[in-house]
Amino acid sequence: MKKKLLAALLSAAMVATLLAGCGSKEAEAPVEAPAEEETEAPAEAPAEGDDAEAPAGAEGMHFEIVSKGFQHQYWQAVLKGAQDRADELGVTINFVGPATESDIADQVNMLSNAINQKPKAIGLAALDTKSVTDLLQQSLDAGIPIIGFDSGVPEAPEGSVLANCATDNYAAGEMAAEKVYEAIKDRVANATGTVRIGVLSQDATSESVVNRGLGFVDKIAELVVADGKTATVVGNQRFIDDSKCEKTDGADVEIEVLVPASVDSALSATDCQTLLNKADTIAVYGSNQHSAEGMITGNENLNKFGTGEDQVIAAGFDSGAAIKAAVADGTFLGAITQAPVAMGAALIDALVAAANGETVSDVDTGCQWYTAENMNDPEIAQNLYD
Amino acid sequence: MTDKKKGNAFTDNPLVRAIGVQKIVVVLVLILLVLFFSAASPAFRQYATILSIMDYTYYLALLGIGVTFCLITGGVDLSIGAGMVCYGLIGGYLIVQKGMPVGVGLLFTVLCGILMGIINGILVAKGEIPPFLATLCTMMIARGMGSVATKNMSVTWPAAATAQGWVRSIFKIDIGGTKIPIGFIWVLILAILMSIVLNKTKIGRYIIAIGSNKEATRLSGVNVVKYQMAAYIISGLFTGLGGIAYATTFQALAPGAGAGIELNAIGGAIIGGTSMSGGSGSIAGTILGVFIMSVLQTGLPYIGLQANNQQIIIGLVLIVAVFFDVWKNRKLA
Repeated sequence: MKKKLLAALLSAAMVATLLAGCGSKEAEAPVEAPAEEETEAPAEAPAEGDDAEAPAGAEGMHFEIVSKGFQHQYWQAVLKGAQDRADELGVTINFVGPATESDIADQVNMLSNAINQKPKAIGLAALDTKSVTDLLQQSLDAGIPIIGFDSGVPEAPEGSVLANCATDNYAAGEMAAEKVYEAIKDRVANATGTVRIGVLSQDATSESVVNRGLGFVDKIAELVVADGKTATVVGNQRFIDDSKCEKTDGADVEIEVLVPASVDSALSATDCQTLLNKADTIAVYGSNQHSAEGMITGNENLNKFGTGEDQVIAAGFDSGAAIKAAVADGTFLGAITQAPVAMGAALIDALVAAANGETVSDVDTGCQWYTAENMNDPEIAQNLYD
Repeated sequence: MTDKKKGNAFTDNPLVRAIGVQKIVVVLVLILLVLFFSAASPAFRQYATILSIMDYTYYLALLGIGVTFCLITGGVDLSIGAGMVCYGLIGGYLIVQKGMPVGVGLLFTVLCGILMGIINGILVAKGEIPPFLATLCTMMIARGMGSVATKNMSVTWPAAATAQGWVRSIFKIDIGGTKIPIGFIWVLILAILMSIVLNKTKIGRYIIAIGSNKEATRLSGVNVVKYQMAAYIISGLFTGLGGIAYATTFQALAPGAGAGIELNAIGGAIIGGTSMSGGSGSIAGTILGVFIMSVLQTGLPYIGLQANNQQIIIGLVLIVAVFFDVWKNRKLA
């Protein structure tokens, strides 16, 4: 009986692995960019300037690009930018990503496959900065240069990741902090007790998401201290450890960072409600599309977001139909948008340069703060997607 | 079904026997949980908390009702979590990207669920693949299908303020700024209906019989393939309905999401007294069990527990429930 059970379990495990393999293959099949939707956003030239004007010998090169998956439309825009630029230069790309942004192991697997393909160069947006270091060493040994995009890999072995094409996420977080602080400055100054500023972070592993959180936390703390008050960080340990803010008990401003156990809409919505239910909460910031959407769901029942006197200030990140609507109707004070199309194009340029052995340097692809007033400006609208 | 051979004053009480010991225990636990959270956190004692609990209850309850039928046959349906998101994605994709009316999207969401139920049924009942494996495979397929069908894009069903926004008021209506969780009525009606199907109709009776002793049921001339399939189709249908609840409660549906939700629904059914080994279970128990899950999920953050601790507690609660099931079976044996 026990043997039978063991056999059944083993075969279950085998089938599961088999299927997992098939599953990732499916995801690896080059994804067609849904052209109908994205054409309105013109592929903007990379922020650095167009100096990579069809470099000699680019034609026919092949690159493997490992993204964070396609759960959010943001990635479709990056893909669109990359694909357009690749077509322009006559290079081919294989743009892959795991099914969800929790599937760190799948992504590691994909990177391993990408290295085995021996492409000219690899683009990588790491879900977890620590779990890819071995593979990066491997690709360094194999002589395949890697260009990071969206998220950097700070612990990468020397010489493996040549450059990053990304939003300066820390600066983007700081920008959100400045805008939020402007709106709550008086409330902080006039507060008699502790006030709370909430931060919803999708995870505490990805460099981009963590930096957007840290940039926000550090800047808020800095501004609070500059105004003669004290600030502290509570909640998720990674943020408490990595924040520059000095932790004190009984600070005037408590910055609370919440991270869900997995990327699940219900969990992030609950986190937002937890913050909104604390009477001293004056502002909440969600550092990506997932978290910002969690804020919208969480607020639906409580209805506390807004810019009025006793309402809670809300700030988001990225776009998508729900977030755009929340910004447009004033539920959100505003949100930060990145330039995904430009990021995709900059990535291809950097890959070509790296493959040709040229020196490549980091590219900041930029970000913007959008509100109900400016979200229809062409400058900004091109980076907003449904 | 008696819970103890040698009863006592409590278990011998005809009313207690009629309702079932486990259900009474679950109701008591539920009341204790609500009292505990209310005492521990003033913020929990507000109307919006009920709305939040309901938001998490609808889709779990619908999944739970369906999967109870599979559990009673002695099987399981693991495809419901990923499936729910997949069907919601497909329905939403048709509405948002293909410009179809919301009604068509709703219909497709349910039809996809039924289709998956038929596939699961064929694999399990006709193919005799162990339910655990068959539905694990279809779970992976559902997960991938959601991505493929939507070209890997997340989908947001029409928002309340937009032209087709009425879809958002199926489960929650807004009367003069006050939100009313009317979805509870639909779930209650469906639960009563399915309770009747389970206990008073031929389908239900045979499903229970298959779970108790499949071979004996077959030998007595029942078409076990047909009724086993019926259980999976019911599960598929309710997964589709759950997909509607999920899609209209949350913002964007993300391809690949939903894995793990099946365990919350199955957990709810087991807490409610449905046996993992088949042959017994009730819809009322499942609804109560699902409430335990949703009250925990909503309430734990109020007492300052971070996400990972919540999962540990929910896991522990499930162990207690499964232990109760095992202990009950041993008493009966």
